[in-house]
Order: sequence, then C-alpha cells, then structure tokens
Amino acid sequence: MEYIIGIILLLTFFGLAWYCISGNNLMIGFLIISIIWAVLSFAGTLGSSPAFLEENKILQFAGMKGVMDALNTIFQKAPEDWGSTLVNVCWGAWFGRVLMETGIASTLIRKTVELGGDKPMITIALLNIVTAIIFTAMMGAGPVIAIGVIVLPILMSLGIPKAIAMFSFMGSVCAGIYINPVIFAQCRAFFIEKDAVPEFNLGWYASKWGFVAMIILLITTTVLSGVYLTKSKTSHAWAATVRKSAQTKDAPFYTLILPIVPVALKIALNFSVIAGFVIAGFLALFLCGKMKGNFKENCQLVNKLFYDGVVDTAPLVGFLLTLPMFNKVAAYAAPYFKVLLGGIFPKNELVLCVVFTVLLFMGLFRGPLTLFGCGAATLGVVMRIGDFSLPFLYALFAIPTITVNIGSCITQSWVAWGLAYTKVESKDFLKLSIPNAYIAGILQYVAAFILLGSLGGNWLMSAILK
Amino acid sequence: MEEQFANLKPIFYGIFGKQKNIVYEKPKFAERKIADMLKELSKISLLDWERYAFSRDPLVGRISPYKRKEYMQKSWECGMEWADRLKSEYGNLSAEDLAKKLGMETEYPILPENTDRVLFAEFREPNNIKIYMDAVNKAKKYLFDGDIKGIFCDANIVDILLLHELFHSIEEKYKKEIYTRVEKIELWSIGFFHYKSNIIALSEIAAMGFAYKYSKITFSPYILDVLLVYGYSQNEASGLYEEIMELVDDNERKHDER
Repeated sequence: MEYIIGIILLLTFFGLAWYCISGNNLMIGFLIISIIWAVLSFAGTLGSSPAFLEENKILQFAGMKGVMDALNTIFQKAPEDWGSTLVNVCWGAWFGRVLMETGIASTLIRKTVELGGDKPMITIALLNIVTAIIFTAMMGAGPVIAIGVIVLPILMSLGIPKAIAMFSFMGSVCAGIYINPVIFAQCRAFFIEKDAVPEFNLGWYASKWGFVAMIILLITTTVLSGVYLTKSKTSHAWAATVRKSAQTKDAPFYTLILPIVPVALKIALNFSVIAGFVIAGFLALFLCGKMKGNFKENCQLVNKLFYDGVVDTAPLVGFLLTLPMFNKVAAYAAPYFKVLLGGIFPKNELVLCVVFTVLLFMGLFRGPLTLFGCGAATLGVVMRIGDFSLPFLYALFAIPTITVNIGSCITQSWVAWGLAYTKVESKDFLKLSIPNAYIAGILQYVAAFILLGSLGGNWLMSAILK
Repeated sequence: MEEQFANLKPIFYGIFGKQKNIVYEKPKFAERKIADMLKELSKISLLDWERYAFSRDPLVGRISPYKRKEYMQKSWECGMEWADRLKSEYGNLSAEDLAKKLGMETEYPILPENTDRVLFAEFREPNNIKIYMDAVNKAKKYLFDGDIKGIFCDANIVDILLLHELFHSIEEKYKKEIYTRVEKIELWSIGFFHYKSNIIALSEIAAMGFAYKYSKITFSPYILDVLLVYGYSQNEASGLYEEIMELVDDNERKHDER
C-alpha cells in the first residue's frame, strides 16, 4: 500500500509542477496539494504494512485525537508560525519605500554614474555593485521598478544595448538579494520553524556562504555583461522617456549609508532586523527632510509608505501563507516518498550538487527547483529523504531560487516589467541570463560544497526535525 | 477610492487569480490637446531646450548651469555646421539619399512600443539605422490638424529621425575631431590620473541641430518627443509636456533673476 500511495503522491507532485509552470495561482495550488497530500498520507496508514508504520513514528496517530492534532498542526499552527516572517516582510517593504521616497536610492545611483561617466563597462561595474548593495535592504517589485526606471535609461543612454542593460541590472538586483534579511527570513521559513536552530541566522549564513554567493553572482553578471558588450555594437537611440518620479533632488551625502544599516546591524551584532528597518527608515525620513509637516501629516506619510510597501509584496503573501501547510504536510508524506525514492536518492553532497547543477534550468518558470514555485514541494521531499545539513540544503535550493528564478526568469514580476519597459524579447533576455545562471550556479555550488558540505552533528536535518 | 481598489488588485490576484505580476502605476497628468501643447512648445527658442536636453544625461549633476548653456550653444552649432558641410560636399540630397551616400543601411520596422520609453529611432554601429514606424504612423494623423500643420508645414518626421541618427554615424566617423566627442568633462582624479568622460547630451543636441539645419524645419526637433509619445498615450505625452514646460520656465526665471 505504501508503494501505491508513494506513486500517487509522486504523480500529484508532477501535477503540481505542471500547475506552477502554467502560471496558475500558487496559493490555491499549494492549498489543494496540502489537502490532497494530507488525505493520501493519513488514508495510507489504513492499509500500510505494520513494519512501515512501526518505522515511521510520525504516521502513528493513536486514534482520532492524534489525527486532529496532526491536522491542526498542518492547517493552523504552521501558517500561524509563519506570521512572524510576514511581519519582517512588511517592514522590509516599508523600508524599501522609504529609500525611494527620500531619494536615497536614486541619489546613490546618480552619484555612481557620475563616477563612471560614458565608459559603459566602468559604469556597469559600479552600478552593479551599488544596485546589489541597495537590494540587500530593499525588496519587491515596486523598489526594483523604481530603481530600474533610473538605471535602465542611463545604461541605454550610454549606448549599451537594451538586452545587456536589462540583464546587468536584473543580475545585480538578484546578487543583493542573497543577503537580504527579509528574503533570508522567508526562505529560512521553508526549512525550519522560526525558533528552531537559532544559530542559523543571517550573520552566520552571510559570513559562511551568503557573501560568497553574492560576490560570485555580481562578478559573473559584470564579467558576462562585459563579454556581451564586446560582442555587440554600440547603439545610439532617440527615445522619449517620461520621468516617473519627481524626486530629482539629491539626498544628503551622509544619508547614503542608511541602506546598509539594517543588514550591517543584523550581521555584525545580530540586532533585530525590524528595529534596524525602523531606525534607518526614520533616520532617512528625518535627515532627508521628509518629516517637516505636522504630526498628523508625518503619520500619514509613514502610513502611506507602509501601505505601498505591503502592496508591493502582496502577490506572494497568499502563496507564502499556504506554503507552511504544505511544508508541514510534506513531513507526513515523506515516509511514502522514502519508500519509493530512498534507494535511488543521492546520499552524498557532491552528487546532489552535481545533480542540482545539471538541473538548474528547472528553477525557471516556477519549476521544481525554485522555492517560489514548485520547488517547495521538492524541498519537502529532499529534506526528509536524505540527511543533509540545514545550511547545505538552504544553499542547494537558494541557488535555483535566487540565481535562476529571481535573477534570470521571465516569470519573476520585475523581470517581466523590465522586458516590457525595455522592449527586450523574452528569448533575447534568456539568451543572456541562462548562461549567467549556469556559470554563477556552478561556482556557487562549488562554494556551497566546500563551505557547507561537511557540516554534521546538530546541523543535520535528522537532528533538527527530530 | 478608485486608486485604493487598484492598489488592492495585486492582493486579489495573489489570492484568487492567476499569479499576476505587479505592474507599475503610471502617474496621472492633466490631459491636453496635442495642438495646444505643440503650439506652446514651438514657442520655445532653439537654445532654451537646454535644461530638457541635459535632464536625461547621466552626468547632469556635474554640469553647472553656466557650462550647460555653453555646451548647448556649441553643440547646436556643431550640428548645424556639419549639416552645411555635408550639403556642400554632397549637394542637396534627401535624407534617404544622404544615408545611402554615407553607406548606411536603413530599416523601417513597425515595432509597437510601450509608453514608459518610446523608441523613435536607433543608430547601431557601424552602419545600421532603424526608424521605428509605429510611433511615426500613430503621429501622422495629427499632422492634418490645421494648427499642427501650421507648425510642421511640410516637414517629414521620418527624415528628421533619420537625419538625427545620421549625425551619430558622422560622429563615429569623425570622432577624433568632432566637438561632441572631443569635449570632455573631468569626473575625478587621483594624483596625476584624471578620469574624463564625454557628455552624451552634447551628441544628442548636435544631432538635433543637424536635423534642424539639414531638413530646414522651423521648430526644434525636441518637439517630436511629445508628438510621437502622444500617439501611444495622451497622459504620458501630457506629463512630458508638463516636465518640459517646468524646465523651460525654471530656466527663464533664472534668466530673469540674473
């Protein structure tokens, strides 16, 4: 019976992959699959062999109460626990809006361009670094678009072909996201509960692998932009660009440090991310003269920025609220997968890195390797079949999620916007971004294997999920 | 209220709909008639477009208002000089014949644009020019309006675009001597090392001057920015017009203060 359930579960997994790749709603998809997997896993215990049930304590429900407790854990406790991550997401989105409103982000970009001048390669390199730094703190489609409408016309005015400009910008945004505390908190929640393994925090992760991953992507994006640029012909375009933002006044010089304050405090002192956002956000508003109105007006401004920020992140929130249900139910489905795949699943970090490297393209189009798509289901299986360390597994999935999906795929909201804005054909963008995803991905997997591949003991998922 | 509903849309899609992407909310401007806008824009003297011309330059923050004026004048003159030079060299050729004479390969693709950035024409080194006809075709219908006819007379938009791009090809050919490429600004220095850069706006201004002189039009080619965007979005064109007028007014105010 457990084999039959395993096969049905596997078929539903492929069904979910097809559903996600077709661009359907992720929230509903994950809600349905959570229900199906719960029904299959629970019903499967009725006909499974005693040896199978004996081996898997998680499937021993001890009557109706046990089933109810399990259901409550899946459908109530799991999404509730994710609430704390959602709060970080909202504050991060607010901070992104503050950096836009105060003109700090745009000033940083303009000042950077003024250092590079008309030399496209120097300007690209400098802009990539600054963009990556900015997006260690900002996130969401709104901020990417707000910075994109400044950066992309500048790059194109330097004669850089639009596809390369777009590729370079999106790659550098993605590089910054590797150590973005909000994205880290979101992705971490895929693996473990908030309070579990406190040692696995942003500071530890960034110093062990996050910075390396970021630098690798930054370098490959910049170097490849240069390579593409030498192969392409410079263009001069007559185009009218409607200015989107009235914000052209430079923010004070000393405020340009503020975007990195929350991340720096978190990494250096393990200081609260939200407090970092609040301190840096209000400092930005005061120092840039945005709080000169009366108390009521200032409150309205803060409120409006919070509202806009939350809307920026809204499309993914529904998905991320059903995802914890799925993560939890995957624990009940895992024994069936283990019966089916346990014998053939790689047990070795190196083999897993090689397999994931080859299959990196499956991070595209919300496929089975990206956590912001069907990869969440893959993780549910991988996490419980093999016994790998938490940081290694995190890196294993972060690469297809961030480098491939967020940085290189046209299903990413801001990439889709960029294509429309620059009028670059999807295939032209993918021709540039996929080689980068593979080159950066290979190097990042090498780094993950060297830096995180041999962690054992308490870092192993078997110890954490006990 | 309507705005709040629009803002709630992504949440709705996130929960119930397809996984729709968030889109940029375009600012709303008071919409104006194209004839009224062009009439006002045509009153701006050729060199008073300077603030608008520099507003899209990445180095605008490094150029003083005084220097900007000087650059505007010299670049415009440079473009006109080259128009005269080519006319004396090749005779009074049409824009298309001139392009052929200069070895250019000219294409006229019909590429629909979105309104964030409307691309009119493009010169790709070494000898390819593309004139994007969708924008031109959309604008043509407005040229029958009596007031607009009075401004444009017999001007051919395609020729103006082509001539503008031809100037960039000339720049490439004569980059060691042409003003727009020889003039540089120092961005920073370390000891004896001085990092200098060209100013992109100079090329664009000179290309406008070249198109103006060669095609013998009586208005600044910068007007086309508003006309050609109008075909796609009256709102965006109105926004562009507002921005231009603000920049020009500000300039005039500074003139008066001095």
